[in-house]
Amino acid sequence: MGNQNIIMEAKNIESDRLKNINFKLFEGEIVTLIGPSGAGKSSLLMLLNRLEDPKKGEITYRNKNINEYEMVKLRKEVGMVFQSSSLFDGTVEDNLKYGPSLFGEWDHNRGKELLEIVQLPVDYLSKDVEELSGGEKQRIAFARTLANRPDVLLLDEVTSALDLKNVELMEKFLKDIIPNQVRAIMMVTHDIKQAERLGNRTFFMDEKEIAEQGDTSQMLRNPTTESLRAFLEEGTIDGT
Amino acid sequence: MAPEISNTSMFFLIFFVLIPVSLSYFYALGLGKSIFWSSLRGVTQLFLIGYLLTYLFSLEAFTGISIMLTVMIVVASLHASKKGEGIPKVKIITFLVIVIIELFVLAMWLGFDMIAFQPDQVIPMSGMVIGNSMVAIGLALERMKSEFKESKGKIIAALSLGAKPEQASKILIKKIVKSAMIPNVDGLKTIGLVQLPGMMTGLILGGVAPIEAIRYQIVISLSIFASVSLSAMLVTVICYRFFFNNNQQLIPITEK
Repeated sequence: MGNQNIIMEAKNIESDRLKNINFKLFEGEIVTLIGPSGAGKSSLLMLLNRLEDPKKGEITYRNKNINEYEMVKLRKEVGMVFQSSSLFDGTVEDNLKYGPSLFGEWDHNRGKELLEIVQLPVDYLSKDVEELSGGEKQRIAFARTLANRPDVLLLDEVTSALDLKNVELMEKFLKDIIPNQVRAIMMVTHDIKQAERLGNRTFFMDEKEIAEQGDTSQMLRNPTTESLRAFLEEGTIDGT
Repeated sequence: MAPEISNTSMFFLIFFVLIPVSLSYFYALGLGKSIFWSSLRGVTQLFLIGYLLTYLFSLEAFTGISIMLTVMIVVASLHASKKGEGIPKVKIITFLVIVIIELFVLAMWLGFDMIAFQPDQVIPMSGMVIGNSMVAIGLALERMKSEFKESKGKIIAALSLGAKPEQASKILIKKIVKSAMIPNVDGLKTIGLVQLPGMMTGLILGGVAPIEAIRYQIVISLSIFASVSLSAMLVTVICYRFFFNNNQQLIPITEK
């Protein structure tokens, strides 16, 4: 990864739920975040989208401290999708245009494009979100964030509540959009197999810090820390 | 002139208290003491307020009105702000909102010659406006806290997409103001059909012709409607900001 461009970087981050966080996110890669519940995975994503701020340390996006960006610009370019779809009341189009409309950029055809990306029929644009299934809602939530044309995509356990078919679809979308539509992805997952399927690199978080990071397949096959070894064994037993 | 109710007649009201007390004993509801004491307390409070109003009405108009309105507004704001516990400065905000509403309504009444600046007109009419605003503000504050809790995911999603706090809260503000207004909208729809409103009933009992009594009722009903909508809207648009910090991040509101 040495020759690739760094898109985001965290240096010595400390917060109530995180300590000594250091990492680089490179263009073109998918980083998967794994670790036990409460290890700080979601908190880390929240810092990158500035939904929370660290107490110490610095996070940069394209070599500039994220605090120096206008908030709306940063959140548009570093988009985030959550575990619960949290769709707004109204139609699918109301949801898809929410972000772009804040910047006066919405075009009806963009809605059709987004639905094609997440493999839903175009006539879904006028559908009330209450009529959608759980998997469809999550796909719309994903498309809603893509509507902002983010540079970096942060995904917080977006497939954890989905059935196998929808998980496969979401994984396919992720592989399709990188690196042309989105430059880098950082995703939290509880599913070690998924981390292996998608991640170029993986960060293992334990007790608020990144205990181990490296090439996904290498790291999961030969863990160097006791905590990752124990976590992988538990994961295997759980079948996750 | 209203017919006077003698002390003997008043005494026989005891039967109205004995009915629920007996039912409570019969069904072992355990409410007997509570019914008795609340009835006694209610009667005592009303007698006291009767004497107080008689005194205030005897004072010079400005003094009597100022004293009573101050008491009403302070009590109403303390009561309504309890529902918004945890929201910074909620007592002072509630107080100021009720003051603004009362001054606005009073200016309309006096400006358009609907009532005279006399304690026996301003105090009862203002009491109704302040009381209803108190309920609406309480409802709005309560709903605001629960909406921010229940819809936390949606607000965070909106912020993460680039919305500013005022844009992210828009989805909730609509719901909050609506919920505070609904009881009044529904009340206005059936006004006079199901039960005669209190003020109109009082005036009719006092010997005023029904067609005159409804004029007062219309003034007060629409004044209440306007003040309820305004107070719910004002308190909501002022207080939603306290759910966010300066970095456009959602912060938890914790009750003491």
